[in-house]
This record gives sequence, structure tokens and C-alpha cells, in this order.
Amino acid sequence: MNTGILKPTLAIYAAIFLLFLYGPLIILAILSFQSQGGGPQFPIQEWSTYWYRHLFGVTETSRVSQLPVGDALVRSLILAFMTTVVSTVLGTMSAEAFRTRFKGSGPVFYLIILGMMVPGVLVGLGMALLSNFAGIDRAWWGTAFVLHVVYTYPFAFLVMLAIFNRFDRSVEEASLSLGVSPAQTFRRVTFPILFPGVLSAMLFSFTLSYDEFSRTLFTVGRELTLPLAIYGTFSVEIYPNIFAFGVLTTLFSFTLLVVYGLLMKRFTSRRARFSGQEEAA
Amino acid sequence: MLKLNGITRRYGGTAALDGLDFTVPDDTYVSLLGASGSGKTTLLRLIAGFEEPDAGEIVLGGERLDGKPPHRRDIGFVFQNFALFPHLSVQENVAFGLKHRETGAIASGSELTDRVAAALDLVGLTGFGHRGVGEISGGQKQRVALARTLVTEPRLVLLDEPLGALDANLRARMCDELRAIRERLKVSFLHVTGSETEALTMGDMVAVLAQGRIAQAAESTMLFHQPQNPAAARHLNAWNLLAGTVTGGALQTPVGRLPLPRPLADGTPAQLAVRFDQIDVAEPGAVPPGQDHFTARYLTGEFNGPTTLSFFRADDGELIQVVDHMSNPRLPDLEEGKTYALHFSPEAALLYEGAA
Amino acid sequence: MTSVTTDMAVATKDSPAVKREGRDRRRAFMLLAPGVVWMILFMVLPMLMVIYVSFWTQTTFAVEPTLTTASWERFMSSTTYISAIGTTLRIWVIVLLATLVVGYPVALFIGLFVKNRTVQTALLVACVIPFWTSFLIRVIAWRPMLGTEGAINLILMKLGIIDQPLTFLLFSEFSVLVGMTQIYCVFMVGPITFMIARIDESMIEAARDLGASFWTIFRRIVLPLSMPGVIVGAIFVSVMVLGEFATAASLSGRKVNLLGNIIVSQVGSLKWAFAAVAGVVLTVIITAVITLALRVVDLRKEM
Repeated sequence: MNTGILKPTLAIYAAIFLLFLYGPLIILAILSFQSQGGGPQFPIQEWSTYWYRHLFGVTETSRVSQLPVGDALVRSLILAFMTTVVSTVLGTMSAEAFRTRFKGSGPVFYLIILGMMVPGVLVGLGMALLSNFAGIDRAWWGTAFVLHVVYTYPFAFLVMLAIFNRFDRSVEEASLSLGVSPAQTFRRVTFPILFPGVLSAMLFSFTLSYDEFSRTLFTVGRELTLPLAIYGTFSVEIYPNIFAFGVLTTLFSFTLLVVYGLLMKRFTSRRARFSGQEEAA
Repeated sequence: MLKLNGITRRYGGTAALDGLDFTVPDDTYVSLLGASGSGKTTLLRLIAGFEEPDAGEIVLGGERLDGKPPHRRDIGFVFQNFALFPHLSVQENVAFGLKHRETGAIASGSELTDRVAAALDLVGLTGFGHRGVGEISGGQKQRVALARTLVTEPRLVLLDEPLGALDANLRARMCDELRAIRERLKVSFLHVTGSETEALTMGDMVAVLAQGRIAQAAESTMLFHQPQNPAAARHLNAWNLLAGTVTGGALQTPVGRLPLPRPLADGTPAQLAVRFDQIDVAEPGAVPPGQDHFTARYLTGEFNGPTTLSFFRADDGELIQVVDHMSNPRLPDLEEGKTYALHFSPEAALLYEGAA
Repeated sequence: MTSVTTDMAVATKDSPAVKREGRDRRRAFMLLAPGVVWMILFMVLPMLMVIYVSFWTQTTFAVEPTLTTASWERFMSSTTYISAIGTTLRIWVIVLLATLVVGYPVALFIGLFVKNRTVQTALLVACVIPFWTSFLIRVIAWRPMLGTEGAINLILMKLGIIDQPLTFLLFSEFSVLVGMTQIYCVFMVGPITFMIARIDESMIEAARDLGASFWTIFRRIVLPLSMPGVIVGAIFVSVMVLGEFATAASLSGRKVNLLGNIIVSQVGSLKWAFAAVAGVVLTVIITAVITLALRVVDLRKEM
């Protein structure tokens, strides 16, 4: 068997693949430290944090206008938060409903999943047409928000469905048999046990919504969200300030991942105290 | 007293329980014996209210239970897999019902602590309260599950194969303790099991569940010695059943003519039940004269310590089991593959009318 | 026993079991209703609206609900738009194949050759992490890579492989293809790795013991068992690539016009009916692709 050379070859290939995946981001990060006079390319004239300062508007006025990200960032965060709450609640409710067998569960399943499949431009266009037709003003907290939920709710639903599938129902029955009402059972037993799943669903929803722009493009109205503010700069000449912004927003995404990881770890270590450490006993 | 009248539960087209009638008296340990798939867990789930019957009624102390949601039935349930709350400590598990139940929740911290401590004492887990439920052994988990249920003082405790997840040693010890705990609390236990020894050991009363009904419910020695019907006899795993038709004062079976304990009209289909320890084995030529007998090939023996279980294959393929007690050996030295004559005295056999 | 029989006759109507089932079903319905209503109002209805508006009358700055097929006729007779369909399909096929070709060996390596669970997870996470970062930033990051003064040209010139910067790298179909392949191959690698990692190790060991070569094992065991992953990945990639416009808008220098770009530019000039026609065409294409993919999966199950 000639896996002898195959394995190292594939390993090298995988390494090149990772370079392909991360290379552009690394180059972007390096170029974000370009000096004021330098363009969005090599060579680096002089290392500086000029474009970071430019981003926050703490440099003297320059010919390059500041990226319009301040208000947009706040809007995007609020929107992502709203989307997270609604889609996690909807996703959890639907997944809970799917634990009961009912007629028509197949079509309903596909209806929900369609939300993550259908291209953003299409629903975006449809929503814009619909709001024009109905005479509703388009706004990030309205028409864009409902589409964000259409997009993230299927993800939350799938995550919760997977979590519910692994969930042992007898603990709920145990709680009921102790005289605890279904509502209290959900609050005291089901929810705490499912919490890691809920956290994952929330992370999905937040990240997807925070980064979403093709659904938002036609439905956002006057006040732009962060990705749209960035998208707006694509058509004009780009400067390293967008690279600096890219580094910061990537760091933000990573922070979110780390916070998620820490929350999960805190939760599972609390659980480990209860369900692990067999040898310590 | 729990009374079940005409309980029927169907899944799709098949009935798991089919017009079952059963009574669990107060202050009694009742074992419910049934093969796997006999609907015994279904029965418990119906009583607890996790499922509802398609027909029939469940009455506890004069009050209709069916139709009531499970948390208002005041019935304890001990799960085979324990179903402890994984995110709570032992103490929190036990306190859970008292603290969060819909009616009569205990708000006072000191009363809660006292009741939990008392429950843990009862099951022999004093001082384990702060442990996580993953930090304790299977037997201890079982005790936590029991304490968690008993502390809420249910009117009836249902145990779904509570010893199934424990190893043999622990099982024997838990048997004694379960009985002792129950006697102290004076509450009825309904213990479901697939093991006839467990059922007979535990129960003041044993009920056999077969074909969706209670085949027989009786005090355990009574049941063991006098099973009322073939279904009950079969579940005790101590009786050989031989089916045939009455012809000329004896039962004509595929293995041969067998004696009848009481006369029946010719042509009546009937079954004979002969306990494992009441069949005698003889060399083919050495059967006492006048004794009806049949021949069977010796397959193998199983040495169980004080007893030996021997397996014979009758000519029609029927498996016959014979028990020999070491203190009172009746059997000759058996040789595998050799054919022997098996016989029994008619008084030792039970006769059931009706086809198998 | 007569009482039991009468009980059973009544039972089918309002026995506790029937009531409980009814209650459970009502509960499931209540739990499901908000989500379903949301999807119908904000997804199905907008899509129907697209179809409806594609038959409206387009005036210079507005649409009127007077039904006409004028927009459809204009769309079908315009070479620009018909060629946009061709471009969309071409880009889709190339990116789909590219993500598969680029991603499969990586999935094979992670799923089959990395035995250590921790390393396996770490590698998979490394592949998936870009998914969590901003899509637009990942697109824009290709500009300093591929530009005439970009990193690739710089390195190639330093190495002496070329002496003039390659100009086809950026603002061309090539850059769009590279960008899309990088962004979307995550969705291929993930599902395929998942399927390969699930293959029972003992099955491969057994084949190896029987003297099967790696290629035989790959062809007979790994490839067939990884197919569901390929199909799932293909569905993901297809849906996303077909609905794309941002990568083309930012990396092609307006040289690549996908159906998505048509929609965006038509909306930009308030040609709603026209955008709707492009939208319907896109919907039809995507529906056809997904139906086809699902048929392949089902076909495999039947075999």
C-alpha cells in the first residue's frame, strides 16, 4: 500500500490549503500597518498605526474620508442582538415542537430550512417590493431585521434539533413525577441542560446577522448597517483604512468565539464537577 | 389503593395493554413480572401519566387519575437509568421536588435542608449531599433517585426495573434495602422487572403481565406453587408446559401419554405444568411399572451451586428442564446425547384446560 | 368483561390518550406557528411578490401593477441578460468543481489520515474559522493579493519567474473564481470531512488486510461513503454561488456580470420589474439545481 508518500503529500497540500485560506487575511493584516503616504499594496513605506487612528478619527483631516462605520456598528450590533434573541427563541420553539410527531412535519421542516438556502438578493428584492407595495418604509430594524431572522432561524433550529435529539427525556419526566409543573420543568431542568446548545445557536445567529449584507442591501432603508457601509466603499478606490477595519472586525469575531468558548468551558466544567471526577470520589 | 380497570393502550394497530384489570393494595410491595415488550413499562408510564390509556380507568384512593397531568398525580417514579438531573448536586437533586413542585413547595431553607438530610439518611447516603451526580457510583445514583422520589412523599412509588443497571452484588443488597425502606414508609411500591427471581424476592405480591393483561396476581409463594394459568407458569421459569388432548383418561401429547391429576372428558385440549424439580429421570428400562413417561435426549447440564439444571430435548423438539437439589439428589449420572425416560407423579402436575 | 368492551368502543372518541395526543399536537402547533407564520410572511410572500412584480409595467422610475410580459420579452431578447445567465452558470460550474477539487484532498487528509482526535478537530476548526469572519473583508483581502502591485506579483517577480506583473490576476473572471473558491470551499471541506471521519476504521483495516491497495480502498469505500457529504457541500456551494453578486462586484472590475449583479444594478436604477424578472430566472435555476442534487442523493439511497 502506497500511503507512504500519500500522507505527507496530503499533509503538505493541507498546509498549502490553509495558506490559501489565511494568506489574504495575513497580507491584509500586514498592509493595515501601512503609513499615511502608502497605498493599499506593497511595499510598506513605513510601519505605522496611522490607518487605525484614521479609522477612529483621531488623525488630522486627510484627503481620505473616514469610513462611515461608527453609527453603522451600533446598528449592526443592535440588529444582531435582536436577531439572535428572536431566532433562538423561534428555533428552540420549533425544535421543541418537532419532538412531537405530527402530520406535515416534512414540508414544515423544508419551509424552515429554505430560509438559509434561498439567496439573499432574492428575498431582499422580494421584501423591498413587498414593502413598496404595502407602503411600509424600509428600515434596518424592520424590513432588514425580519429577513435576518428568516436567515438565522433555520440555523438556530437545526442546532437545537440536534441538541434535542441527544437529550434524554426521562429527566423531564422525573421532574414532572416530583410534582413540578411543565413550565418549571422547562425552566429548571430542560433549559439548563440544553444551555450549551442554546449558546451555539445564539453564536450562529449573532455572527450570521452581524455579517449579513445581501438580504440587507435592498431592505435597509436610509441608515446602513456595518457590512453595507463597507460594501459602499467597494465601488470607490480602497485605502488601507478598510484593511485596518478588517483586522478589527476579525478580532471582534474572534473575541466573540473566545467568549463563547469560555462560556462553554465554564458551563461544562461546572457540569464536570458534577458528572466527572470519578477518581476523586 | 390503586385500581386499574380495563386499561387498554394501543400503538398503531397493536395493543400493548388490552383491557387490563389490576389492584395495588395499600402498604404493599408489588412486583410486576413481564417479558421484555410485554407492556410493563407502558403500564407504569400510564399510571405515572407520561402516557394516557386508550380505554379504561386508573383510580387511586377513589380519585380518577387518567386525564390528569403527571405532575398532579402525586406518584413517584424511579427510572431504570436513574434520570438524575446532571446539572445539580446530590442535595439539589433530592431537594428539587420539594422546592419546585406546584403545590406545597417548601420555601423555608432549614426545613428543606432537614428533609433532604433525612431522605439521604434513609437511603444511606449521609454526607454525600455535596457530591455531583457524576461523582457517585451506580448504586449511589440509584439511592439518590430513590431519595429524590421518597422525599416528596408520593402516594405510590413506581420503580421501572430499578436494579437493571446495577451489578449482581449490588442488586442483592439493594433488594433488601428497597424492602426495608418501603416497610418504614408504609407506601406501596410497584416494582417492574423481567426477572422472576427478583419479582419473587421483592414482592409481597407478584403480578404476571402477559398478552396485555395480568395473567395472575398473588402472594409470591402462592404464585410460585400454584400458577393459575399457563401464562403465569411460563413466566416463573420453573414449570415445564406440555400441551395435548385428553384421550382415555390421560393426556395425549406429542411426546407421549402423560398422567392427569384429575379426570377430564375425552377430546378436551389441555396443558400440563410440571415443576422443574418434580420430574424424575430414569434409565429407559428402569421406569417404575404403571408410570406414564416420555423419552427425551439429555442435552447439557448447568451447575448453579446448590442446584443443577438439566436440559432435555423431547422427541417433538420440546425443551424440558429438570432441577436437582444437591442435598437431595434424584437423578442418575447423565450422559450427553443419551436418551432417558422422564416421569412425574400426577399429583405434582397442574392441569390447565384449553389449547396452548 | 362487557363493561370493558363498551369502554373500548367509546374510547376512540375521547379517551385520555386521544385527549393527550390532541393536547400534544395543539402544543406542537402553537410552538411551530410563530416560526411558520414568520417564514410565510417574510420569505414565501416576498418570493411570490418577485414573481408578481415581474409581470408589472415598468415606467422610467416606477412600476405599476398593470400586468404585462414586456419585461420578460425585453429580458429574453437582450444579449446582455442572456449572457448573464451563461456567466452565472459558467462561474457556478467552475467554482463548484474548484471547491470540490481543492477541498476534497483536504477533507480526505483530515478525515482519514489524521488519527488524533484533537488534531483532527483543530484542523477542522482552522478550516471553518474564516466562516466566522466578515465575508466582505475576506473578499476585499484578495485585492492586495492579486493586484498588479499585489503580493503574488511581488513574489513572482522577486523569484524571477516573471518580469512584468501579471495583469489578469485582478479585475478579471480569474480573481472572481479564486475569491469564490477560497470563500466557499469551507462548505465543501466541512461536510465531506464529516462523512469521511465517520467511516468505520475497521472496515478500512479489513480491506487493507485483504490486500486492497489504497486506490481500491478509496474507490470502493471512501469515495462512495463520502458522496452524501459531497452532495450536501455541493448544495451549499451552489446556492451561495448562484446568488452571489458581491465578489463579482468587488473583484471583477465590472467585467463579470452575474444574475445577482443584474438584480442589484436594476434595483439601483429603480427598474424593479426588470430586477424581478432576473430574480425569477435565478429562482428557477436554483430550484432546478437543488432538485437535481436531491434526486442524486435519493438515487444513491435507492441503490
